[in-house]
Amino acid sequence: MSDRYIFRYIIILVAIVSVLLSAAAMWLQPYQHRNQENEKRVSILKAAGITEVNSDNVEQLFKQHCTSVVGGELPMYTIDNQITVIPMKGNGLWGPIWGYIGIAADGKTVTGAVFDHKSETPGLGAEITTDYYQSQYKGKQLQLNNNNVSLEVDAITGATRTSVGIEKMIDQTLKLYLPYLEGNE
Amino acid sequence: MSKTINLITAPLSKANPVTVLILGICSALAVTAKLKPAIVMALSVTVVTALSNLIISLLRKGIPSKIRIIVQLIVVATLVILVDQFLKAFMYDVSKQLSVFVGLIITNCIVMGRLEAFAMGHKPLESLLDGIGNGLGYGSILVIVAFFRELFGSGTLLGYQVIPQGLYDFGYINNGLMILPPMALIIIGIIIWLQKPEEDSK
Repeated sequence: MSDRYIFRYIIILVAIVSVLLSAAAMWLQPYQHRNQENEKRVSILKAAGITEVNSDNVEQLFKQHCTSVVGGELPMYTIDNQITVIPMKGNGLWGPIWGYIGIAADGKTVTGAVFDHKSETPGLGAEITTDYYQSQYKGKQLQLNNNNVSLEVDAITGATRTSVGIEKMIDQTLKLYLPYLEGNE
Repeated sequence: MSKTINLITAPLSKANPVTVLILGICSALAVTAKLKPAIVMALSVTVVTALSNLIISLLRKGIPSKIRIIVQLIVVATLVILVDQFLKAFMYDVSKQLSVFVGLIITNCIVMGRLEAFAMGHKPLESLLDGIGNGLGYGSILVIVAFFRELFGSGTLLGYQVIPQGLYDFGYINNGLMILPPMALIIIGIIIWLQKPEEDSK
């Protein structure tokens, strides 16, 4: 087989494959985008204490409950005109972790927290996405003093680095919102 | 006819890609902590091995032998990306649990191994069956391993609690070690050990 044949063969093959993949990406993108958007909304509503939310009813519930969305450097979502949901970003052991924490109108009581991760260890760090871990946050009081925010929950055994990552993420994010939270107090 | 059926049944037992050929171990360790992702992974690999075997078998006479590995890789990578995109669009929750491991099917030795060893020299139908057989052979081991790991590691199966609460009240605790990758290796080792004498006696 000549080199010319090899070149022609591979160029045609790659052209076909790229057309196929682009078509698939364009066809599937709206579905994927919607899934991501809905996932975010489910997290926001769960952090605000609306636990009956799931991927089917989220669009309707979000429209019903979310009263304002503030973008910019310090984004926040207001649910039912009372609860502030704050998005958080941090680092776990293997990759980024993120989450949402809901704070009631008194600026202290946590209404709920939701966490997610990119690639934490299944069964260890990945347990931050489970109900038993996240439900600890519900009803906890934030302690605001000396420009510090503290909140005590049980960490996950065997997932030290992920737990520390969560702790740092909450501390650093809420610190930025301190003036706002204290204003509510 | 029996030869055709053999293409599917052999990889399930005496030519199992995981326990006999010792291929695809890496992902067998990674995705078997819970049963559900293991099942989806098994199906994804079956789809990829079946279709890539079929496509390579159809192309086999035209593939220049100097670049055959590259051509195989292109076909496998395309199929894997399609499966990954498809899962992200329609089975979002599961695709999140599988995360990078769907993409890593590309590097799964079983897929390339079957293309090189079987599809390059056999007719399309036979290759398709061989692909399905090997995908299922791999998948069956994943499911067996995931069954034991989820049962003893989390006390659940497919997310439902199966170990009665009473046992926990008596002081039973889940074995956290089962969730870690080394236990998957040990379970696969036990399966190989159980399977071996049976093979030797034949």
